Amino acid sequence: MNIINNLWDYRHLTLKLAISEFKLRYKNSILGFFWSLLEPLLMLLVLYVVFTNFMRVKVEHYQLFLLMGIISWNMLSRGTAMSLNSIIGKPGLVQKVYFPREVLVISSCLTALLMTLLEFIVFGFFMLIFNVMPTITIMYFPLILFIEFLLILGLSLGLAALNVYYRDMQYIWAVVLQAGFFAAPIIYPISIIPEKYVWIIMLNPMTRIIDMLRGSVIYSASPIFGDGIFILAAALIVLAAGYLIFLKLEPGFAEEM
Amino acid sequence: MDAVVVNGLCKTFRLPHEKRNTLFERITGTGKKGYEEFVALKNINFTVKKGEAVGIIGENGSGKSTLLKIIANILRSTSGSVKIQGKITPFLELGVGFQPDLTAKENIYIYGAIMGLSDKDIDARLSEILEFSGLKQFRDAKLKNLSSGMQVRLAFATAIQTNPEILLMDEVLAVGDMEFQQKCLDVFQRYLKEKKTIVFVSHDLNSVRRFCSKALLLRHGEQVAFGNTNEIIDKYVYGVDDKELHNENLQSESKIEEQKSMEKRTRWGDKKVEITDIKFIDKFGRENNTFNSGDAMTIQINYNVNAPVDNLVIGIAIYSDSDLMCYGTNTDIQGFVPNNTTGSNKIKICINNLTMMEGKFHLTVAAHSKEHIPYDWLDKQFSFNVIKKGNNVGLFEIPCEWKQ
Repeated sequence: MNIINNLWDYRHLTLKLAISEFKLRYKNSILGFFWSLLEPLLMLLVLYVVFTNFMRVKVEHYQLFLLMGIISWNMLSRGTAMSLNSIIGKPGLVQKVYFPREVLVISSCLTALLMTLLEFIVFGFFMLIFNVMPTITIMYFPLILFIEFLLILGLSLGLAALNVYYRDMQYIWAVVLQAGFFAAPIIYPISIIPEKYVWIIMLNPMTRIIDMLRGSVIYSASPIFGDGIFILAAALIVLAAGYLIFLKLEPGFAEEM
Repeated sequence: MDAVVVNGLCKTFRLPHEKRNTLFERITGTGKKGYEEFVALKNINFTVKKGEAVGIIGENGSGKSTLLKIIANILRSTSGSVKIQGKITPFLELGVGFQPDLTAKENIYIYGAIMGLSDKDIDARLSEILEFSGLKQFRDAKLKNLSSGMQVRLAFATAIQTNPEILLMDEVLAVGDMEFQQKCLDVFQRYLKEKKTIVFVSHDLNSVRRFCSKALLLRHGEQVAFGNTNEIIDKYVYGVDDKELHNENLQSESKIEEQKSMEKRTRWGDKKVEITDIKFIDKFGRENNTFNSGDAMTIQINYNVNAPVDNLVIGIAIYSDSDLMCYGTNTDIQGFVPNNTTGSNKIKICINNLTMMEGKFHLTVAAHSKEHIPYDWLDKQFSFNVIKKGNNVGLFEIPCEWKQ
């Protein structure tokens, strides 16, 4: 409780850092933040062409299905990748002033969240174009997104702290993300997985998160209660583990940099 | 009320022979093994009371900045404890977290947030900050397009808006031009008047003397003394209570230097009388070459009379570092007759009050006859340093008082 109270005192700084980082991302490019929207759209285009013409995947509203998968996966990969650098990338802030170092990681995750929210706005336009209207089930969307955010935060805290001591963490993590993109049902539906392997795919909390996000926004499906408990529990466990690693390593940050 | 209590503080750094920075190296065991331990701080104990200003002094590498960083919670101690009562504002570096790609105004808000100011605080003081830093017309310019001096002014103007309870300062006063330094000093004065707690690291003994009632002297990570500023600075300058180490170092260094230069062309004379050694002695009777302005200094001259001479005169002259002759005198002028028996002799000249303000001074010592035939003339072969005391400026202290 004490830790949370302490962090709450720094909410202003956390937001300030997140927003300035967000501004910086787009300040130097001519197309501004359209770049960030262009990236998932181009990815969508390529994957869409490949998977509808060659793989013959049959999914209702496949364009939206795919785009939702890409955006929610991107939030994870962007959030953790930015967090990996959030501490070693700011030696001045770590070695010359003191505030809880968690602030740096949280603000990086918030920047990733802001960028993802922009992409979801584009997603809204796509729904209009394809004439898919969300129903009341969309009210679960922010809740699921929040649970995903907790999961990302947990991973980020652990990874960012480890990266101070072992700089190859970022390369290892890049490989894990690459594999994860294909191991999670982003481009394909779970239904194409042979029955006996489904449980393995389901262990990955991102499987259920992506599935539930799609259900609530595109297919007007209420999430199953058990699934909700599963992802919440997974997110909290990862958050606790990540934070423990972070707290264990944090005292040496200024020396190790 | 105690604001900072440091108790039995130790800090050891591990210096690996080769840093293992990757998981790969860790697992495979490549990269050289082992590390050396470096003791940066050893058993430091002191207390800063609320509203007190304490200066930390010591040579480079004595652990001053490490101590400050541990108090600021940036580094963690290896053992011992630091107890803090109140909110700490560290001024270890100005402009931490500046984003060169954002505008001056945006940076004020970010830097303000880092220093613990809310947007509201800054809204209220924005014009004041811009005014103070003289950057009104550049408020919307990108920071990277401002000169480094402008950036420092902007950082300083923002930083002083904070309302610190405990202020940690590390040589911040040492950057910038005269005008900027004056502004820093004014702010420092203001904080003192407002009874803020201040911990101040500096090489500038004069500002420590001026602002801090107490001082902590560190040497090689060990606490030499803590107490009244003037006493501590005396200890620092004269190395009193020291295990002779300091003085020996100093002696051997200066001797080597002397010997090297002794033979240069700046020495002449027929060596009928030979000057063998010069010692500067401080008010504690120890050999030294750094003195506080206003303190006593004795110059001891050892000389050998090799051949019988009549009318021996021994003289000295003091030059400033810019080669201005400040003062000269000799035994003849003052009506003193030095011993001229064959063999080794000693003579002392006692100065009760060193009136020079500060800087390096060079000494000429000469033995010559009344007719100015030089026996041994050592031209500006020796030097000593004077450290400023008080705030008057110039080359010499002139005793005076104001009346109305």
